[in-house]
Amino acid sequence: MEYLASDKIAIVDLGTRNITEDELDEDLVLDKIGGAGITKHLYDQYAVENPIVLGTGLLTGTLVPGASLGVITAKSPSTGRISHVPLNLDAGMELKYSGFDYIVIKGTADKPVYLWIHDGILDINDADDLWGKDTWAATDHIRSEMGDDLIQVLGIGQAGENGSDLAQIGINYWQSADRMGFGKLFGEKNLKLMAIRGMGLLEISEPEDFMDDCAELIATIRKNPTTQKQGIAAAAAALGEEDLGDFLDPLTHRHMACFNTPVATNTFIFTEEDPALLKESAVPEPGFLLTDIFPLIVLKKAGLSAKDAGILLKACAKYGIDGAAVAELSAKSGLTDPAEIEKSFPDLKGPVESTGGSVFSPWAAVGKEINENWERRQAVAYILGLHPIWLQIATELTEEKLLDLAGLGTEMEFTPDTLDEVIGDILA
Amino acid sequence: MESRSQETEFRIPKIGIYTGKGASHSWLWFVEIFERLGFYDLSFLTEVDLVCGGLENMDVLAVSGGDTFAIAEALGPQGANRLKAFITRGGLYLGSCAGAYLPLNSSKEHLNHFNFVPAKITNLTKTLPQNHGLKEKFCTCYGCSYIFHAVREAVEVTTSGMPPFGVSTTFTAPLYGGPPMTVTNPASVLATYTDFTHKTLFLVDRKLAEKTLLGNAAVIREKMGLGHLHLFGPHFEHPHFSEANLFLTNAMMHDLPYKTIPAENPEDGMAILAGSEKKGFIRDFKRELSNSRIVAAGLEMIPLKWTIGSKVYETGKIRVFLEALWQRIRSFERDGSILVRAGEDDRLVQTALHVTENIRQIKKGWDQKTDTLETATALFGLLNKTSALFLGIYFRSKLFHSVLENRI
Repeated sequence: MEYLASDKIAIVDLGTRNITEDELDEDLVLDKIGGAGITKHLYDQYAVENPIVLGTGLLTGTLVPGASLGVITAKSPSTGRISHVPLNLDAGMELKYSGFDYIVIKGTADKPVYLWIHDGILDINDADDLWGKDTWAATDHIRSEMGDDLIQVLGIGQAGENGSDLAQIGINYWQSADRMGFGKLFGEKNLKLMAIRGMGLLEISEPEDFMDDCAELIATIRKNPTTQKQGIAAAAAALGEEDLGDFLDPLTHRHMACFNTPVATNTFIFTEEDPALLKESAVPEPGFLLTDIFPLIVLKKAGLSAKDAGILLKACAKYGIDGAAVAELSAKSGLTDPAEIEKSFPDLKGPVESTGGSVFSPWAAVGKEINENWERRQAVAYILGLHPIWLQIATELTEEKLLDLAGLGTEMEFTPDTLDEVIGDILA
Repeated sequence: MESRSQETEFRIPKIGIYTGKGASHSWLWFVEIFERLGFYDLSFLTEVDLVCGGLENMDVLAVSGGDTFAIAEALGPQGANRLKAFITRGGLYLGSCAGAYLPLNSSKEHLNHFNFVPAKITNLTKTLPQNHGLKEKFCTCYGCSYIFHAVREAVEVTTSGMPPFGVSTTFTAPLYGGPPMTVTNPASVLATYTDFTHKTLFLVDRKLAEKTLLGNAAVIREKMGLGHLHLFGPHFEHPHFSEANLFLTNAMMHDLPYKTIPAENPEDGMAILAGSEKKGFIRDFKRELSNSRIVAAGLEMIPLKWTIGSKVYETGKIRVFLEALWQRIRSFERDGSILVRAGEDDRLVQTALHVTENIRQIKKGWDQKTDTLETATALFGLLNKTSALFLGIYFRSKLFHSVLENRI
């Protein structure tokens, strides 16, 4: 596979510490396109070994607006279904440039380990020093040891180590939208974290036309007023959920976008510092980056203040537990004090409704039925590597246009029929 | 330039490139242009190699930028004698920037062993002029005087047009502290500084810059015994300046020694790594190179620099070394077997590991606000060593493959 790919699939056996590499076969790409299409295929191939499969879409890391997504595919301990969890912020992009298109993790390590994935090299390293650390301390430790602050860390906290069904794989210091309990799978495999950094390059088959099309696309999308609003509150409103603007505005310090995503869907709130501060805060942990709409909505409905919600979600992120599940369960038990809720983390158990009814992590849609259109757009996002919230908002990014761009970038032809088949396979 | 008295057959020269103490990263530019020309018979020589007979088999020695004083001190009188013997027996010395200053007449300690060329530099002053920027790169103490650098970046040079180079041509070349020179024999001048460009950065008043540079020699050619010295003020070997590269290589080919020692068989005394052995070696080296690149890229975002000897090193220079190796890894992976001396592969991986450790130490030092000069000094030495070791294996293997192809 020459274009938009590193042409490498790593098969990591944690039990034997053996790593093998396969080429990314063009026929597989023609058949399954990429992203969740291929992670699902690889999952099925290694299903008896209960694998965790990571990958990126064909367009991830490119100039296509919103091309930020990576994906983790595995069997959810919460739902028992083969499910897909999004990797946003810079994690998907960094995985794309790491020198591997897909990584299959199978087996169980005999002691805690972490994976260091960089420039086409995959190392299995001992994680004795990391086990027991919360996600923040583990991220700090890895970045300090490796000497780089841009390393993306997909890791678990104590929830995953202790086998909670609600355990989440976090992205650096922040929450992912892992509703599926994939953090438990990491813990079961003695895998504390994956550290990812890539300085690779992607070849594009028709670079000039590809760039022109991307520029034209972004210009068109920019005319859509919905795409001009920034922040997690605006993203929630754009998805048809409650507008969280009034709730969050007094604490909002800044908004932050995922890689090459024109709408910032993340908002940093200051809970311990004046949000109007325009210089670096002297407070070690001034606040928290809100990356997940779902728990915010539930916590607001449960009567928590934005500050308490922020404090609680930070605790969830550190402990590596799904904030949406915590929000749902604490609302049911009537707890509203973040400190008390935090004390209950070790004993929290599902089932929870926040896992949704789909194979994709629900970002919002609390209590609402997952509809067909939502699910199809999610599938397209996970297959091609587009930010799943952004793709709901940017309706100008049609399937036809995205398939054209994938074809232009790879010198291959992808038809709507193939896309239908891949989506059908993922949703089966 | 006098023409040769006899036609000579084109041959691939044996080229030594100085990578020892005092050398900065710019020797890698020589590597790049020689590789483009298919000149794979490259050796990477330290001051120890030069003193211990490393020049005996060479046609050419290329010395690029760095710290002239440190190079002179490292080579010492023995190195100077070896260099003199090399040139007088017919060898060609290519000196650029620091390498151009080295053989100029000087009374200063260490440099006074290299009084090979009676040219004068026009950027020597008793009283420093007012500096307009880049203070740390502006001047160097030279006894009771100073060598100052009037401008940096691209300048315009015009060749003298003497045979065999045909008509006079004008092009640009980058000046990073190299000398403007004057000579008594006009025939020695191959090119003069003729103008500045929109990219030229003035470190002094423009009038003084004009006086210091324009009309003075940018490139000179001197004969010594049977050999020659070509001294370049600007970096004609910089790979972004193709016309300057062409001029440098044409001049080099013109003054190659008539006779050379027959090429050695690249396989002699070498172990051949292939299959899983080769794969393992490349993976181990690539791992460390990647680890280093990742930290080095992050360091470029912080305002850290060091003065090592009389030379200022920014963090960006670390990656110049690393990228030169990284860009060659792929062809290393793709091509056939690799030729290594006994233990050389392990030594390379170990040296690369030390590079990673040192770069990470610098990052930690920055985070903890501790001094990193000592680590940086060690690091740049290690970067030179790692690069020379890797490129030695790389070019030896390339030469081996090209010999094999010719045999077929």
